[in-house]
Amino acid sequence: MTLIILGLGSSALAQTYNTFEPSKTQFMLRGYGHTGFEYLDTGGEQESTFLGATFAPIFLYKHSDKLMFEAELEFELEGNELKTGLEYADVMYVLNKHMTVRAGKFLLPFGTFMERLHPAWINRLPSRPLGFGHDGIAPASDIGVELRGAFDLGGPKLNYAVYVTNGPRIKDGSEEPEEAGMLDFGYYEDVNLAKALGGRIGLLPLSDSSMEWGISAYMTNSTGAEDSDYKDVGAFLWALDLSYVKSITPLQGVVDIKAQYNSSNVDTATYYEIEDGISEPYSFDNQSSSFYTQLSYRPIMSGSDFMKQLEFVGRYSDFNAPEGAEWEEKSTQYAFGLNYWLSWRSVVKFSYQTTKMEGGHDSDGTTRTNGLFVHWAIGF
Amino acid sequence: MKTTTNFKAAIILSVMASIMVACSSNKKPIATDTATEVAGSEVDFKIEKSGAQLWGEVCNRCHIAPSPADYNDTDWETISLHMRVRANLTEEEITKIESFLKSAN
Ligand code: HEC
Repeated sequence: MTLIILGLGSSALAQTYNTFEPSKTQFMLRGYGHTGFEYLDTGGEQESTFLGATFAPIFLYKHSDKLMFEAELEFELEGNELKTGLEYADVMYVLNKHMTVRAGKFLLPFGTFMERLHPAWINRLPSRPLGFGHDGIAPASDIGVELRGAFDLGGPKLNYAVYVTNGPRIKDGSEEPEEAGMLDFGYYEDVNLAKALGGRIGLLPLSDSSMEWGISAYMTNSTGAEDSDYKDVGAFLWALDLSYVKSITPLQGVVDIKAQYNSSNVDTATYYEIEDGISEPYSFDNQSSSFYTQLSYRPIMSGSDFMKQLEFVGRYSDFNAPEGAEWEEKSTQYAFGLNYWLSWRSVVKFSYQTTKMEGGHDSDGTTRTNGLFVHWAIGF
Repeated sequence: MKTTTNFKAAIILSVMASIMVACSSNKKPIATDTATEVAGSEVDFKIEKSGAQLWGEVCNRCHIAPSPADYNDTDWETISLHMRVRANLTEEEITKIESFLKSAN
């Protein structure tokens, strides 16, 4: 009797065990979320709010050692509306040791911030540097194809990426006159036959991979619709980026430096301003730039367990929008942060940020905005 | 305006192209050349980094590096392919790191 029970038990066990055999294909659901509180003082006007939680599930499907699909959805409350977004959805195939092809909607390797550093659990501060994100000058994602890969140079390493995508659309001012001349990188539908061409080269000169320099370029011959006056308005953008991450014994911790400079040059064109019912043409030299540098330090070799989880961050960023444009602006920002790491992917961030803006959408004078932020981000 | 834009674009793209060509034609790693000449010398032991060391150097360049115990073998395979592409790592780096993560979890 006992034998029979044992026998049955073991065959049942064996069956259960079998279902744990790894399958050839793998599907993973990952992602991240964040929430927080912020207090802002803009030229004496105060506001404070808890921020709606953002939830971004990431789907990873590995078909084989070479073929994979990645997609990220984004759910966010904007006011009372649930905003959804498709951050990326692309398929990739490893062609050989040095080359992988990607196609679909992917994050663009224009510099490193958007592709590698913007997720809330990676970004050391609750906000993005000036020049990135909504109304930013750096392209973040697009639909197209890309080749990328890396080479070992016997110590130093080199990596590259080249891509062709639908490209941006120029805002001609017909919908939002105050934004005439801005490039809209969030307009994914192709408005013309021209495509955007871009690439980045990264060099890691030291054999311990602690430092990386990158140069990126992005261009298109046309940003307007095929039958519009803006068809021949081209754009050329370039960026420089730096990353340095090193554990330094005398400092008892890890020092992390990041920086990126973006430059955008859009061909000069004529836009129209409606004043007293009369349409007045105007034009300006459409050049913008932005820069940020960030230093952070984690005392991971400290004797105290509490200190080990802490991180101190400082960031400077600036943004210059073209003189003569309706969106003319010169801004500088300082941000300081203190982070407490609960795990490698979960962090509570406290930060103070002060921004000085000359010009900008809403006013002609100088506006100073001070903000206090508490954010909690978690990757899963 | 247009011409200067295209001109700048051409310069930057040609610099990029020449760096890429230079690197892809440099098929033989420098180490093999010297190793055959000075066989047996210390050059032979050059840059043979372990997976553990590479994990420590590579995986915290963008975010804090996860520990081997954070995921099982199957998950590490998917994550390794994902990171290989996203972080543009060399095949050697990711192969060694993946074996280390799978052996130490
Ligand atoms: C060049 C930057 C960079 C480097 C280097 C890097 N990662 Fe990542 N890693 C990222 C980014 C960006 C994400 C977030 C992906 C997303 O959310 O779209 C990520 C996400 C992850 C995740 C979450 C699951 C996933 O696949 O999205 C794991 C686990 C991970 N990385 C492990 C590693 C390991 C192990 C290494 C070392 C081999 C490594 N990373 C090196 C940028 C990097």
